Amino acid sequence: MSAFLQPGFWIFVLALAGIYGIFALGLQIQYGVGGIMNFGHVGMMAISGYTIAVLVIKYQWSFWWAAFIGVVLAALLGALLGLTTLRLSGDYFAIASIAFAEITRYWILNTDSITGGTQGTLAIPDPAGIGGYTTQPDQILTWISDRLYPLFGEEASRDLSMLFVVWPFLILFIWISSKLQQTSWARVLRATREDDEVPRSLGKNVFRFRLQTLVIGSVFGGIAGVFWALQFALLAPEDFLRIVTFYGWMILILAGATRVKGLLVSAIFFGFLYGSTRFLEFWPLSLLSSPERAYLRVFLIGFVIVLLMVKRPQGLFGKREEMVLE
Amino acid sequence: MTNQSAPTSDKTILEVKNISVSFGGVKPVQDVSFKIAENSFTSVIGPNGAGKTSLFNLISGMNKVSSGEIIFNGEAIHSIHTHKIAQKGLIRTFQGAKIIKRLTVAENLMMAVQGNPGDNLSGFFRKKARREFEESARAEALRRLDQVGLSKFADEYAGILSGGQRKLLDLSRALMAKPSMLLLDEPFAGVNPTLVEKLLTVLAQLRKEHAMTFLLIEHDLETVMNISDRVIVMADGKIIADGLPNSIYENEVVIDAYLGSRRKDA
Repeated sequence: MSAFLQPGFWIFVLALAGIYGIFALGLQIQYGVGGIMNFGHVGMMAISGYTIAVLVIKYQWSFWWAAFIGVVLAALLGALLGLTTLRLSGDYFAIASIAFAEITRYWILNTDSITGGTQGTLAIPDPAGIGGYTTQPDQILTWISDRLYPLFGEEASRDLSMLFVVWPFLILFIWISSKLQQTSWARVLRATREDDEVPRSLGKNVFRFRLQTLVIGSVFGGIAGVFWALQFALLAPEDFLRIVTFYGWMILILAGATRVKGLLVSAIFFGFLYGSTRFLEFWPLSLLSSPERAYLRVFLIGFVIVLLMVKRPQGLFGKREEMVLE
Repeated sequence: MTNQSAPTSDKTILEVKNISVSFGGVKPVQDVSFKIAENSFTSVIGPNGAGKTSLFNLISGMNKVSSGEIIFNGEAIHSIHTHKIAQKGLIRTFQGAKIIKRLTVAENLMMAVQGNPGDNLSGFFRKKARREFEESARAEALRRLDQVGLSKFADEYAGILSGGQRKLLDLSRALMAKPSMLLLDEPFAGVNPTLVEKLLTVLAQLRKEHAMTFLLIEHDLETVMNISDRVIVMADGKIIADGLPNSIYENEVVIDAYLGSRRKDA
């Protein structure tokens, strides 16, 4: 258990929480405001992450342009997903969105010549021999950790620098998102969440509102993908399994889907759950190996979702009355 | 214009030409035609299943006509989206009083105001314009709520309202959109008689001051007797009578439709 006392553990937890916080922010605006059940959100993260890796390694683009194009592609694919399937009602859209993310993943898995296939970004054809895609941002991360050294000493790692990059963005995005959710635009969306005939009969183009929400959420998903790509410096198709979307959903449900600021707390809780199970060494968990214990997080996260749904469907910060009105 | 209840204008605001709709084998509206004069008050009555609400769904674009045309203010609207029809000033209410339960009562009303700069994402950066619009929308919402006695619920979730109160909210919300023509689907069912009287006064006032046109569905002829210039009677998807309220009272066909056709068989 001594791992929990190590600053390095908490730095990792917080960096992860920051990235997943941005990821869940995309789901929050889609579901918490617009009522759109997107179960394929991970696809956006996969697209922007892989776009960076491919453009930088294979075509020697600058990381920054690649990241920009990655986010733009995530947004465009969000729009494509919406234009083709958003007319489906709730549950059917959810199914279509899973299919979308799976198609994306299988495409990555099976186009070895571009994406490196099963071996991940390590196997992307590398004409210039640069061996990775993070050289440019790493210079900045190193610069940051050099500045942090006097304050944190040996703890001034790359992870800590990531923390100092991701969290300001997370807080900025939450601030923007909460401002956006105070507009009448968001009010119309909240109405569509319950009933789309009313806003339509009052002159609101419901499809446009929902499509915009899907695209905004996809942009957040894409940005989360940029930070993910940066954090792990290596991508593989199995990083983008369906479960990742549900990690985002857990964060969202824990916070309360309508409470954007709650994401800050629930993302940290998620980061802790995600990172900690490996280090739970007491009996009977000590009978399992460390990688086996790491997978306990999947059980734990599932358990937390079920528990919340039964005991506190409004999440930690939501209002119960919002859930029970008939 | 000697008759007090006659239309105050000869201009046609809405024209329905031979519209029909069928869902599978069911034909809720069959070959219905009528014209509505601007600033008039017309009631559509008829027994259950006569096709009244289906007619409204067609006019408001929620369902598309199988055949026929609908012209509003000189423009064909039968093949355009519901929200575009609403933007043209043709607003409807719903039979079941559809309210947004998880918005506050005031928010339900404020949503209806047209031309809100905050409804567009580009309006996000026009903070001042948005705030001013919201302030005036809220003031208007509170005025409307006061009119129907709901102002004390302004900041409560609309989901706490009773059935009758929901009707009032639905009606007030439609009025917030400042329509040139309003389709009201049984707005008075389940509302207490004193309030019905008051609402009728409000509608009459709107008609006078804002030249609004009304088309209203009602079960009960008595309620709309005094306020209507004209009554259209529907049964089995067709118009069976159309005329001044008094003439409808004595119409044999109407009596048959309401009491069933057994009288004739007997």
